[in-house]
Amino acid sequence: MSRSTTDGRADAVSARVRRLQRAVQEASPGVCAERALIWTAYFRDRSTAPLPTEVRMAQALSRVLLEKSVHIYDDELIVGNFTSKRVAGAIYPELHGVAMLANPSSFPTRAVNPLQISPDEAARLKAIRGFWLRRSIPYLAYREPWRKVRLIVDQLKPRYYALNELGGIAHIVPDYEMLLELGTDGLVARAHEAREGFAPTSPQIEFLDAVETAANGLAAFAERYAHEAARLAATEDDPLRRGELLEIAETCRRVPREPARTFAEAVQSLTFAQISITLESLDNGVSPGRLDQLLWPFYQRDVAAGTLTRERARELVAAFCIKLCEVIPVFSDATTKLHGGLMSGQAVTLGGVDVTGRDATTELSHLFLEVIDALRMRQPNLHVRLHRSSPQSFTDQIAAMLCDGANTPALYNDDAIVSALVERGCDEGDALGFAICGCVEPVVPGATFGSTDAALFNLPIILELALNEGRRFSSRWRVGARTPPVTEMRTMHDVTAAFETQLAHVVARMVGDLHAVESANMRFHPTPMTSMLLRGCLERGTCSTAGGARYNSSGVQCVGPADTGDSLAAIERSVFVDRRVTLPQLVAALKANLDDRDLFAYLRGLGKFGNDDALVDRYTAYVLERFSSELARHRSRRDGPYVAGVYSMTTHAHFGSVTGALPNGRLASACFASGLSPENGMDREGPTAVFNSVNRVDTRSLSNGVNLNVLFDQATLRGANGRRVLSSLVRTYFRGGGMQVQTNILDPAVLIEARADPSAHPNLLVRISGYSAYFNDLTPTMKDEIIRRTAHSGTAT
Amino acid sequence: MGTVVVDEVVVVDVQRFSLHDGPGIRTTVFLKGCPLRCLWCQNPEAVRRGPEIAVYAERCEHSGRCGEVCPEGAIRLGALARVDFDRCSACGACARECAHDAIRLIGRRVNIDELEGDLLRDLAFFEDSGGGVTFSGGEPMVQAPALGSLLARLSGRGVHTAIETCGLFPWSRMAPLLTSLDLVYFDVKHMDSAVHRRLTGLGNELILANFARLANSPVELVARMPVVPGFNDDEENVRATADLLHTHGLTRIHLLGYHGLGEAKKPHLDSPLAPFHLATMERRDLEKFASRFEERGIDVTIYD
Ligand code: SF4
Ligand code: SF4
Repeated sequence: MSRSTTDGRADAVSARVRRLQRAVQEASPGVCAERALIWTAYFRDRSTAPLPTEVRMAQALSRVLLEKSVHIYDDELIVGNFTSKRVAGAIYPELHGVAMLANPSSFPTRAVNPLQISPDEAARLKAIRGFWLRRSIPYLAYREPWRKVRLIVDQLKPRYYALNELGGIAHIVPDYEMLLELGTDGLVARAHEAREGFAPTSPQIEFLDAVETAANGLAAFAERYAHEAARLAATEDDPLRRGELLEIAETCRRVPREPARTFAEAVQSLTFAQISITLESLDNGVSPGRLDQLLWPFYQRDVAAGTLTRERARELVAAFCIKLCEVIPVFSDATTKLHGGLMSGQAVTLGGVDVTGRDATTELSHLFLEVIDALRMRQPNLHVRLHRSSPQSFTDQIAAMLCDGANTPALYNDDAIVSALVERGCDEGDALGFAICGCVEPVVPGATFGSTDAALFNLPIILELALNEGRRFSSRWRVGARTPPVTEMRTMHDVTAAFETQLAHVVARMVGDLHAVESANMRFHPTPMTSMLLRGCLERGTCSTAGGARYNSSGVQCVGPADTGDSLAAIERSVFVDRRVTLPQLVAALKANLDDRDLFAYLRGLGKFGNDDALVDRYTAYVLERFSSELARHRSRRDGPYVAGVYSMTTHAHFGSVTGALPNGRLASACFASGLSPENGMDREGPTAVFNSVNRVDTRSLSNGVNLNVLFDQATLRGANGRRVLSSLVRTYFRGGGMQVQTNILDPAVLIEARADPSAHPNLLVRISGYSAYFNDLTPTMKDEIIRRTAHSGTAT
Repeated sequence: MGTVVVDEVVVVDVQRFSLHDGPGIRTTVFLKGCPLRCLWCQNPEAVRRGPEIAVYAERCEHSGRCGEVCPEGAIRLGALARVDFDRCSACGACARECAHDAIRLIGRRVNIDELEGDLLRDLAFFEDSGGGVTFSGGEPMVQAPALGSLLARLSGRGVHTAIETCGLFPWSRMAPLLTSLDLVYFDVKHMDSAVHRRLTGLGNELILANFARLANSPVELVARMPVVPGFNDDEENVRATADLLHTHGLTRIHLLGYHGLGEAKKPHLDSPLAPFHLATMERRDLEKFASRFEERGIDVTIYD
């Protein structure tokens, strides 16, 4: 299997694909004002104000799709633009985008993730700020002014939890299967049928009206490309390209309005839907899902008919993947701290079993791997499902890719995920068909409104509250529950009881805020286009934001479980076993940021999660169990459960920066461990120990997915033996119950070089937390952290 | 130093996820004690049979705790903590007390039940990868009786077992181990007994006799040679080593190029070994050296 041209083997992708790739990689990312300006123009028009919100949303979206600029670039086979620029992100002024309207001209000069924008665009964006200040979701979530202020101020620099849902939801795996089968005309017909069950003036009918508008908008969007392709064809001198353009015109005239007939139509159809959903909901976690399943019938049919070669299929897949890299999320500086790396989270899932439990790996699964390996770009997020009968050719291909330093795909254990999904209430057949949404979150594709990234929760800060009667170490003001002073805590049980009380208190407060946000999204930001591609919404005549989808849930990520668990283990050991300090002494030392060097070194030296020590690991398992049970006590306004996930994006650095010293010896403001990984550099026993530790955590209650990063240096996994070792590690970890793992295989020297001189490795890709980012896009702290992550090297004699 | 207890071993270190001491994913156990005193010793901390103290004075933060707990009055606290090795009984109290890792106890007495349990934590990884446990050292055969029980238990659980030996042991100690041993890495340091004595302190007669016996046993035997430029890389020794392999029908050798990592450990120990100054061997020199075996029809695996 070929990977690159440099090693003398044939390139897995064509020269045309390399040209497309270069064009996208060389474009400097920018900000596109179009969506924001068209959206604003629509909502400024008072004449539409009497219409139901759903209908207005659908009309606004259609207007964007009809008015935004249309480009077909050289060499393109799959067309469609997310924005007006080659690589850019839109601003969503009614969502988190409002925060960026204050000073849009600073984008090109900001320190992290600078983005291009013309002075004219910046000025026009700035001019709409006044309109949105009182119309954006963060402002609308609460009615009472003091609550508005509290929520907005809280979320500018989140300390206890970060409410991502405040900035928009998205995060879905749309039902592209249905789109390909029915086309938008078929969906309109479905919406028509659904009307039968509802009274003429009911909200359901309003929603179904909105769906029709959205569906027609999507079809009309494609037709604009048909015109553009025909126009270009008319002036094209190269007969070959002219033929291609005419073919593109033909395809865009047909799909997505009608069912897709060919592989090319299928890819083109879902590309338009991918763009439109992104423009409606948000550019975050809009995940195409199991493309090796979805596209398989088309591929098979075309290849059998002799109308598609493997090479052409590879080009189309590559063109699609490159397309996904043309959109980036535009975040404010504050949000970049939580989600560094310009990651849009468009996840493709390969492999796994089908809904009957049989292996579903296809030739297309291999083809996708080959193409994505050859491209090594930041999108799509690539996820692979593995199970006991995954074909060896497939696992070998993955191992080869990972050992070669591709850092992608992330690997998922079908057994563990299916049981977690069943545990949270999914039908077994549905669960077997899961796809990964965004970073690591499993959902039933086409049927789940999962808001999988609803919030991130700072768990270690709960311990700070528990050790100080509900106050921060640095404050006399109580923010948590009233729990006993440490002078009255006699046993470990007293400590955990206080921890549980504080946890319940803060979770309840977070849920209160989430409820407000959910209601605001339901009332002010319904998403008919997204909803029409989620099973349940049409039948119920109800938008996904209002709970219309077959499955509803909200994912809340636990950040810092290892720090919290290790801290409890350290309290037990230092106070109740070794009796080296009393609890009040320990807390006094923490307030002084562990300036007693001896005590600091002693605490650092105590056992840590990730070293296969059952006594220590059980505390991490315990805090996660508590966290997920606490969430399970609440339900969302969409009547779905809150489900726990364990991945941290880059919030483990941010939450760390606002949290005091911890009994595990982590100093105030320092970074937490990432996701479910052990604390940085504290896993001293190698990867087998890490896997054993992690497998002490019961992942059945962590159905929003977990992220375990394991870094190996390249030398360890060299050659055929290295590939065998990696496969064996993963297989054994999964057999022991492991849910997910992603490897970073990296020579640390390369990173150190890249940190010193960003131009030395401009396209160096690293995995952050379920996603890949260019190293140069990361904040300095994140760069340091990636470098510090334990490099697991096999011990040589 | 205490009597030798058969259900206990003195362990320098246990390294999980070892990939270069045998097939598959392995755990390598470094046992303490060695009868040889090789000039280039790479594991000087494993030479003595019993536990000992290593001092990393640059880490000392002057807390004075070590001095307070030492039952022998062996610690003097000047600018940095210093241990009077003549007085020290290696009780380890200071190392336990030092939070800064400035004093370490090298060599833990570990009950074999406990060690077995620890090693079996990776059983699933061993099974899947065809890996297992390798005993190294020091010279693991120094602790042969306890080693034997460990090997028997591990092999009873289906774990692949290996040892790395310098070859110097009474055959009577090895014979009972053969049924629970899958693989032996056998060091061939020098073929000339007089030179061997000069380099390691003892002659090689018993070593070569043991090599022959193992070659005729059912256990897989792999010869290993530490390549120390200027000491054992001469043509005559290569020829003799190759002949030894041919005599026993063996066709492969593992070459370990000299590296200076062992030297860095000596200053922290009360080491019986003199300092040894030699540059770490370059991989290409090792490859060139390897070709001299390959010319003689021997497959070479290089460790650098
Ligand atoms: S206990 Fe450690 S830090 Fe303290 S004086 Fe002794 S060696 Fe130095
Ligand atoms: S090991 Fe024991 S005897 Fe030796 S210096 Fe330390 S405390 Fe003293």
